[in-house]
This record gives sequence, structure tokens and C-alpha cells, in this order.
Amino acid sequence: MLALAISSTLLLIVGSTTRFLDPVRGALLTVVSPLYFVAEIPYVFSAFATDVFSSRDTLLEEKASLADRVLELSAVAQRYDSLQAENERLRELLGSTSRLPGDVLVAELVTVIANNQRHEVIIDKGSSDGVAVGQPVIDASGLFGQVVEVGAFTSRVLLISDGTHAVPVQVNRNDVRAIAAGTGAFARLELENVPVTADIREGDLMVSSGLGGRFPRGYPVGRVVVAINDNAAGVKRVEVRPSAALDRTRHVLIVFESVSQRDPGGPPNSPEPSEPVSTEPSVPEGNT
Amino acid sequence: MNPTRGGWVILLTIVFGMILSVARLPDFVPSWAGWLRPQWVVLVLFFWVIEFPDRVGMILAWCLGFLLDALNAEPLGINGLCLATITFIAWSFHERLRMYSIVQQATVLFVLVIGVQYLRASVHSLTLDTPVSLALAVPAVTSTILWPFVAGALRGVSQRFRVR
Repeated sequence: MLALAISSTLLLIVGSTTRFLDPVRGALLTVVSPLYFVAEIPYVFSAFATDVFSSRDTLLEEKASLADRVLELSAVAQRYDSLQAENERLRELLGSTSRLPGDVLVAELVTVIANNQRHEVIIDKGSSDGVAVGQPVIDASGLFGQVVEVGAFTSRVLLISDGTHAVPVQVNRNDVRAIAAGTGAFARLELENVPVTADIREGDLMVSSGLGGRFPRGYPVGRVVVAINDNAAGVKRVEVRPSAALDRTRHVLIVFESVSQRDPGGPPNSPEPSEPVSTEPSVPEGNT
Repeated sequence: MNPTRGGWVILLTIVFGMILSVARLPDFVPSWAGWLRPQWVVLVLFFWVIEFPDRVGMILAWCLGFLLDALNAEPLGINGLCLATITFIAWSFHERLRMYSIVQQATVLFVLVIGVQYLRASVHSLTLDTPVSLALAVPAVTSTILWPFVAGALRGVSQRFRVR
């Protein structure tokens, strides 16, 4: 018993201070990931039953609305192509490198970590699909989280709303920079240490600033819903509602920096983002 | 007829407990219900240890802890420590615990689970900034309430598959 207790304690110390145990964790995640799929079986069945028994009218309605959506999005995409070309040209003129992210991989949520204190999900793509720790994850409407652990066929994603997560952001309107920290509530992020003079207003769209190198630039993070000067503390209290459907979405996109990063297994010195202090999961929460 | 003496039954029930401990709640259940989730693996392990102390040992419990760590995304080693502690106590007193009534067993289990919950919370507080709150005691309460049912079901299983 004493030996087990001592070895557990040693493991805990090693695990919390170094990264030596990351491969072990990855292997363990591979071993246990079938259990997540088994635990999802009731939901898979009920979804299947809904699909089978949904009426023809509902399906037709859904098809019509999807067709509308495709038309809308292809209109946007046309503009995007020309804008991308223009952006490349302008960047060439300025002599700076292209900043648009390369590739995305669609992943489906397997399950949500069953712990009220953590905001983490398991997705059905792992190292066999080229996913690596630290990759940003987005959904249809905004930044979703980042990959923190990779097994062979599944990986664990930390959401931006987790109490230990923080992401560097900026106001889309005027590029004022801030750090959006998770609060442990799905519908609320908080900007940390915003000076009362900062030009951040209610309704502003916060986008990822790309500082720190972990998240690509320009993905919507959320909209400011509360911006109040707290004169006693000398800071502005700013609350942001995340754009991504953190507690509802079923499909997410894993963002690859470039196409070469997506080699399964990956080169040993793959362009993994440097370790930004501000986006590390272990950032202590709000020291206001 | 029964060469493994029902070892696979023990493993299967433990795996089932692990599945229950990660099963997602349906969307219509309010999120606070997540706090009520009992410590399924502890319940199952506790039963097997006091009924068949020669089949389930501390090493097995400790190894199971690693799988639980990976499942629940917790620091490596924390569940091993918790499960080995529970197994050690249950194993040391298994003869007495077997004589106890179901209510007395549930009381012992309550104390064990609450102790383990606070052990876990104190380890978590080393790395995370989560406060130690009274909500930690809730799984202990639900585990205690469920103990008679879990013990009854597992006793049925062990007799049906002739675990020795």
C-alpha cells in the first residue's frame, strides 16, 4: 500500500510539473476510447430512430433550408476567393508572408467529459489523422477550443469556456487587444485586466488575435455583452458571449497551419506552435 | 466448467461501471445533475473486494485507476491512489464488513467515498484553481443511497455466473 501510494504521488508530481507522461496519457486514451463510444450507444440509437421515423415533410423542409444556406454560403465563398487573391497580392507588396491557415479536418464529437468542473470534449480524430496537441479547433460560427491530448483515434479538446483556458483576442473594430479567459460557464468569457480607458463597447466582435502563436488570427471568439467600468478596481469588466455553440455543436473543424502538417504521424519537428504563456491550459484564472 | 472462476464477470462489471461513469447525460437533464453522479467504479470494486478478497487486489485497483484517469481526464495517478486506498481499507476489514448489515456497509462506504473525494479535490487544487466545496460530498451521498441496489445486483450476478 505504501509503495503504491508513493508511486502514485511521484506520478502526480512528475505529471503536473513535466510533460514526460504525455505519451503514456495518449496510449491510455487510445485504450479507453472504445468506452466513450459504448457510452454513446443509446444516443446513437435514438438519433438513428429520429432519422428513420422523421416525416417526409420535415425532411423536405430541412432540405429546402439547407439549399438556401448553400446558396448563401457560395455567394460568400465567391467573394472570399477574390478577397483571398487580393490579400495575397497586397501581402506580397508589403513583403510579408501569407497568414491564411491551410487546411481543416472535420471531426465529430464523441462525448462530453462528464465532469461539471471541466469543459472538455472527446472528438473522433486522433494521431492517425495527423492531429497534434495544441491545434486549434473551431466550429461553424467561431473558435471552439484546442487539442490538449491525442490518442490514436480520439483526442481531447479543451473548450475556450473552461476555467483554466485563456485566448488572446482583439476587437474586430479597432484591434484593441485583450485576453479572453474562460469562466466555467458556457455562455460567458471574461476579458482580463482591461483598463477603464480601453475602447471596448457592448456589441463589439472579439476575434482571435493570433498573438502567442497557438490560435490563428481572425476567428470570431465572441461578442461583448457587458462592458462596465469598475472604478473601485480600476478595470473595465467585460463579458463576452462565445460565438461558437460550445454546448450544442456536434461537428467541429480542426485547423492545420499548413498542408504539410497533416502528415499522419507528422515529422518530428512539425510546425507545432510555440508555447504561448497566455494560451497554456495551466494559466491560473483571473488575478484581478 | 468454470476455469476462470468468473474473473471475466468481475472485469465486465468493472468495465460497465467505467462506462456509467463517463456516460453523457441526455440534453433534457439539467446540468447540475452531473454533480449527483455516484462513484460507480468505487461501488463495484468495493463489492468485489469484500465478497472475494482473494480475487481483487490493490494492484488491480491501482491499475484500474490509470484507465479512470484517462477516461475522466484527470492527473495521472490520482484515481490509482484513491482506488488502492479504498481497496486497502475494504480488504483489511473485509471479514467484518461482510458481517455488517447493508446499512452499516453503506455507512462505511459513505465515509470512504467522502474521504476519497476530498483527497482527489486536494490533489486537483495543486494544479487547478478549483475551490474545495461541499458539492464534493454529493457523489458520496448518491453512492451510499445506491449501494444496496448495486450490491444486490452484483450478488445476483456473482451467483448466476458462479464467481468464486
